[in-house]
Amino acid sequence: MAQKRLLGLVAVVAIIAAACGGSTATSAPASQEPGTSGPPASAAAPTAKTGDLAEEQILNVDIAGEPPTLDPNKAQDSNSLTVLRALHRPLVYIDPATLEPTPALAESWEISDDAKTLTFTLRDAQYSNGDPIVAGDLVYSWKRLVDPRTAAPYSYVMAEVEGAGDLLALAGADPLPADAEIDALLDTLGVEAPDDKTFIVHLSTPATYFLAAMTLWVGVPIQESWITSPSAFEAGNYVSSGPFQLQTWNHNSEIVLTPNPNWYGDVKPTLTEIHMSMSPEPAQAMAAYEAGEIDMLLPVPSEDIERVKADPVMGAEYTEPPALSITYYNYNNGLDPTGQKTNPRCEDPKACPTANKEFRIALTQAVDKEAFKLATFANTGIVAGTMIMPGLPGATPDYEPYPYDLAAAQEHMATALQELGYASAADIPPLRFGFNTGSGHEPRVAFLAQAWEEAFGLKTDQIGSEFGVFLTQRTAGEYDLARNGWGADYPHANNQIAGLFTCGGGNNDQQYCNPQVDEWMTQAASEADQAAQQTLYEQVNKTIADDAASLFLRWGVNSQLVRPYVGGLQVTPMDSQVPGEHFYESIQMLVRQ
Amino acid sequence: MIRYITRRLLWIIPVLFAVSVITFLLMHAVPGGPWAREKALPDAVEARLNAKYGLDQPLYEQYGRWAIAFATGDLGPSYRYQDRTVNDIVADGFWVTFQLGVMAFGLAVLVGIPLGILAALGHNRWPDYLTTSISILGVTTPSFVLGILLIVVFSVQLGWFPTGGWEGPETWVLPTIALAGFPIAVIARYTRASMLEVTRKDYIRTAHSKGVRNQSVVSRHMIRNALIPVVTILGPTLAFLVTGSFIIERVFNIPGIGQFYLNAISTRDYSLLMAMTMLYAFAVAFLNVVVDVLYAYIDPRIRYS
Repeated sequence: MAQKRLLGLVAVVAIIAAACGGSTATSAPASQEPGTSGPPASAAAPTAKTGDLAEEQILNVDIAGEPPTLDPNKAQDSNSLTVLRALHRPLVYIDPATLEPTPALAESWEISDDAKTLTFTLRDAQYSNGDPIVAGDLVYSWKRLVDPRTAAPYSYVMAEVEGAGDLLALAGADPLPADAEIDALLDTLGVEAPDDKTFIVHLSTPATYFLAAMTLWVGVPIQESWITSPSAFEAGNYVSSGPFQLQTWNHNSEIVLTPNPNWYGDVKPTLTEIHMSMSPEPAQAMAAYEAGEIDMLLPVPSEDIERVKADPVMGAEYTEPPALSITYYNYNNGLDPTGQKTNPRCEDPKACPTANKEFRIALTQAVDKEAFKLATFANTGIVAGTMIMPGLPGATPDYEPYPYDLAAAQEHMATALQELGYASAADIPPLRFGFNTGSGHEPRVAFLAQAWEEAFGLKTDQIGSEFGVFLTQRTAGEYDLARNGWGADYPHANNQIAGLFTCGGGNNDQQYCNPQVDEWMTQAASEADQAAQQTLYEQVNKTIADDAASLFLRWGVNSQLVRPYVGGLQVTPMDSQVPGEHFYESIQMLVRQ
Repeated sequence: MIRYITRRLLWIIPVLFAVSVITFLLMHAVPGGPWAREKALPDAVEARLNAKYGLDQPLYEQYGRWAIAFATGDLGPSYRYQDRTVNDIVADGFWVTFQLGVMAFGLAVLVGIPLGILAALGHNRWPDYLTTSISILGVTTPSFVLGILLIVVFSVQLGWFPTGGWEGPETWVLPTIALAGFPIAVIARYTRASMLEVTRKDYIRTAHSKGVRNQSVVSRHMIRNALIPVVTILGPTLAFLVTGSFIIERVFNIPGIGQFYLNAISTRDYSLLMAMTMLYAFAVAFLNVVVDVLYAYIDPRIRYS
């Protein structure tokens, strides 16, 4: 109530200011702590200053396309997540500064000594429809997530929950067992709600990263009566548990969010409306920003970055905060889950040179990553030597076992050629170098191919395919070299390595397998001691780089534009479409100059 | 005439059947599937989704199920937009696309035909050169270049129109112009060529020698005859415009169905792709019938039985 009155006062001040011809302040506003802005209530300033709240609290952003779904259990793409982050809040959420799990719906939790039982105590909270949020809704949501009938893309994050393994494996069964059998299995899932305020998770194996995975959007509380109702996801029917609610959803056109009147969080939204347009074309979104139709833009199209930086106005609005993403290129290591060569093409070592470690080292040392970044990424990002991004436990930001060094590269190549039985690199049949077309990868592929041809006379066959075709071939191991990239789902080293560089992992397209890495990963999962855990991840990270498993090139940044009158942003490296998208509730519109 | 129209309309059915079979086979022959993404889905989940949508069944069964559903007006589920059906998506966007298409078509006809006539009447003089230049520019400029150019000049620099969306007349102007650019050029070229050909006909010379006023010759004899070949291309042009230009809809962020066509291909959203293809095929086939019927009115020599 007090806050409302304060807002009203600020609004009056802003109106007077507008009538008097606007503000005269010129200094750029700093982003502020929520709730501390505006003039003191006792002493209203004669004119609104920069940093004061604007009269109209409407934020306009673009989310790059129609969200495929607003079902939290099923969502998987950034268009949907950008909206879901305003509509729901999980038990634990990320701290914007440290990315560590912090209380959200859960006011506290306890972890048992064996790290296998997590007990959460819930806050007093309500959904947007006024119903209380109870622990039973979490049980329902988690069961629905691993239910094979839901076929949720992110069901695997529940893999460590007791009984989840059987259910996840069941998804592959055709035909599915009878409903009664699935329901019986669901009843054995290790989640329980002894009362409305207590939620208990039983893990089948210690998983130190599980809390981090819980910050994902998939495990938010869901009311069964809502999600099973017809047209549950349309505005008017949608029941949200986060700071905002779904006001309108004009499909393929616009989403409007308004504050959830029952939002339990400590920071109440200042914004009265968030308008989300859905432009699939980055150039249009860029124009919309320049024309003042949207207040923020992420990412800025790479072809516009130079111009934006040089622009006197936009140059000051442009920033490049770090993002948890990486650009890398696969070397086909040609190994199966047991570490044996299996790719039929690789039975003859001569036919599969990238399976040779010396060869991979030679290729790595022949690439000038700084020049690559400058030439093909408008110089954005940070040169990478390893997989885990800086800021995550296990990161070794300065570790680069094979820096750009043409002389060293030649030496490794000589050794490789001897081992492979070639007289010169020019004798090697052209390597199959795969990438997907139409997404700006062509200059990057050309840069690398050129570097290797100049250094060794090595020939590559650059195969550009449509995205779906490319993915199929990359997974099948049909390329020697292939473009790749990764963005973190949750801020933890486990999400950067497990499945990607573990033997036989689902995203292990480089067909890499080092049993030592797998062992350390298992150890780290049950290592409760933070320092020891971090050491293990660091070892993993360095070993993968030492093996030259892939060509790590560049950690990403979020190239973004924010108008100076958008305040209270809490930007995180997990943002993908809207700066500060994890904390819409703290965003405030300030007086424009 | 009625019998002729009925027969032609009935012929659309086998045409649609052939188009659907070919499209269905082609789209399933392309590697990849609706669940492919950079972060691979767990195999079990992918198998579950395939089973859920029947994608694990033999192709002829899948086609059979699709055809029966299509015949009953059910266009199927969207694989990408899992909470919506293709019927919802088409119903939401069709009228926007249709409106944009009809406006662009109207503009193309209103500008293209007069331009062509002017060029022919001023043959080898400045009106001809001007029209030819405009036409060549219109034909050679890709619509996304024209679209972006219009946005940069009229939205960002001058601020006269919004950069995109579909919320009122001010948002209609730029996309209509951008979409009409190409057909204006084509229609102008056709009209010019056709007019020039008619000019040399005996009946025009006869009309002139009878002492008919020039204005009357042009309007009553030349234009009417010259328009017959132009009408031929108007059918497919209208079909193309009303079923959507995915490029223009994308560039201007217009919530029509055109942009789903391209998306459906790249995301292997099979049922959406089938629906879009059938819609386009029907529009082309139907408008060709309309054009043929129009011939009979424009050219009294043509009689159908």
